Order: sequence, then C-alpha cells, then structure tokens
Amino acid sequence: MIKRCEDIRDRIGAWMDGELSRSGAEEVRVHLESCPACCEERRQLEKLQASLKAVLVAGPSNVSFERFWSGVEQRINRQRVWHEDFFGWVRDLSTPPQLAWLVPAVIILVLMGMFSLESFFPGSRLAVRRNNFAAVESIDGFGRNVAVLRENETKTTIIWLYQNQEGENESTGEKSDASPSF
Amino acid sequence: MSLPGKRVTRALLSSSILFFFAAFAGAAETTSQIVQVKIGAILASNQGDEFDSRLAHLKKQLEPLKYRSYRLLKEESQKVQRKGNATFDIPGGRSLVVTPQESGTKQLALRVHLQQGGKPLIDTTVRLNSGGNFLLGGPPHEGGALVISISATAQ
Repeated sequence: MIKRCEDIRDRIGAWMDGELSRSGAEEVRVHLESCPACCEERRQLEKLQASLKAVLVAGPSNVSFERFWSGVEQRINRQRVWHEDFFGWVRDLSTPPQLAWLVPAVIILVLMGMFSLESFFPGSRLAVRRNNFAAVESIDGFGRNVAVLRENETKTTIIWLYQNQEGENESTGEKSDASPSF
Repeated sequence: MSLPGKRVTRALLSSSILFFFAAFAGAAETTSQIVQVKIGAILASNQGDEFDSRLAHLKKQLEPLKYRSYRLLKEESQKVQRKGNATFDIPGGRSLVVTPQESGTKQLALRVHLQQGGKPLIDTTVRLNSGGNFLLGGPPHEGGALVISISATAQ
C-alpha cells in the first residue's frame, strides 16, 4: 500500500496539470478518494500552486521601473568626454579575443614601419637599412685585371683596377706604392 | 568590443597598412628623370697616418682597402638627366663619365667610364639603390692609389 501511495504521489502533480492519460487520471482520482494521506498531499500541492500564482501575478505590479528608466535616460543624455571613449576603446582592445589578432597586426605594422622609415626619414637610426650592395652588370678593364669585392659589413661594392700593363704610367711618372690586400 | 570601436580599429589598421604599402610599392613604380651624381676622389696611400675628417662617413667602407692614409682630393656633385652624361675631372688628368641608364626612385643603373688622356681605363655598368654608393679604385696617384666614391640619388 505504501509503495502504491508513493507511486500515486509522484503522479499527483501531473494529474493536476492534466498531463496523464485517461486511465492514469482515473486511477489517481479513485485512489485519492479512498486515501486520506494522498488526499492531504494533493491539498498541499494545490495550496503551493495557488501561492506561486499569486506571487507571479502580483509581483510585476509591485516593481518600480521609474528608477531604472531614469537611469537609462541619464546614461543616454550624459555627454561622455573623449578620454572616456578612448579608454573604453583601449580596454575593449585588451580582451583576449581582440588580442588574438591585434598582437600579430601590431607586430606586422611595426615591421612595416621600420622598413618604411627610410622612405620617410632617410638616415634614421631606427630604419632598417636597405642593401647598399651595387650589382655590377658589366665590366671592361680594357686588358687590365679588375677585382670586384663585396664587403659584407658595410654592404659596399668595391671595383679595383690593377695597373698590370708594364710602363703604363711611365708617362705620368705615377707608381702605386702597394695594391690593397683585401 | 562595441560596434563603433570595431569600426575605428579596423579603419586605423587598414589605413596604416595602406599607408606603409604605399611607401613600399608606390615609390618603386614611379620613374625619375633627374639623378644627382656625387663623386669623391680620395688618395689612399701608406705614407703617413692621416685620415681626412671629411671622409668620416666613408671610414667603414674604406677600411677593407688596408691603406694607412686617406685624403679627400676632390668632391663634386652634378645633376644629370637620364641618359645624359655627368663628366668629372679626376686628379691625374683623368676623367670620369657617369651616365644614368635607368632610374626609378629606388634603384638606378649607372654606366661609369673612367679614362686617362683619352685612353679608357674601365667601363662598367652598375645597379645600385638610390642614395647608395660604391667605390672604384686602383689608378696610381702620388705614390698611392686613387679611390673614387660614386653615389647617385634619384630626384
């Protein structure tokens, strides 16, 4: 009998809401007529439902929205100073989803800036220097030996003409004291 | 982030990227008709240890030549049209003719012809960045060697 009461009590709520099948509803109704304990359970449930309904219906009328709407109006009408907007914007940028694309974008911009700096401010110390190497496309020493040196440290191209024709400079009396030892 | 904030960020980023891209690509596309050619004739020798203070900007570039003394003999600058000749008198009865072949605002091709008493010493074509320089050396002079720094800037 106790097990049957437990089974019926589990279904009283559904019965009151009309959610049971016809046979199930009839079974609960017949049991409630003959069982004072389950009938008491039904009354408790009915009282609880009535109380909840009263709260839900009466609740919204007791809430005052005046302060809420006046607050919204104040925020709309308030003139924000520029630095509030700016700091708000910066704060938004520092959120993780924004940082995910902002950090690489800033790195790319800084690198592009460094490479472009030479165009805007020639000779700037911060600028990344372009390759100063001169490319020798053609060279003719007219029978003399010619050396082309590319000096890596200063990225300088040096073209050196060796005076290897005997007596070439006798007419001017010029003689080099030494050839460079690159 | 609020919608206006996103728009501001995107606008700033895209305009910055376009700005820098223009600095890279825009300049390369245009061609320059006038080129400023600057030469410095330097006497490099092992007599004495003098280093001419006017050559301070070339000190690092001259170091590999391993001479002990460097003295600026002559410095001259000329503006020349593309395909035009800039002729410089070089100490020792020599003359240097520089002819810009192609000139963009970033890169230049120069034909350089050095001669002495009507006899050609060297004829070379060199491509270099605008504002860059190279050294041409070797001809003997006053017991040392003549080194010529040649730079060109598109204008």
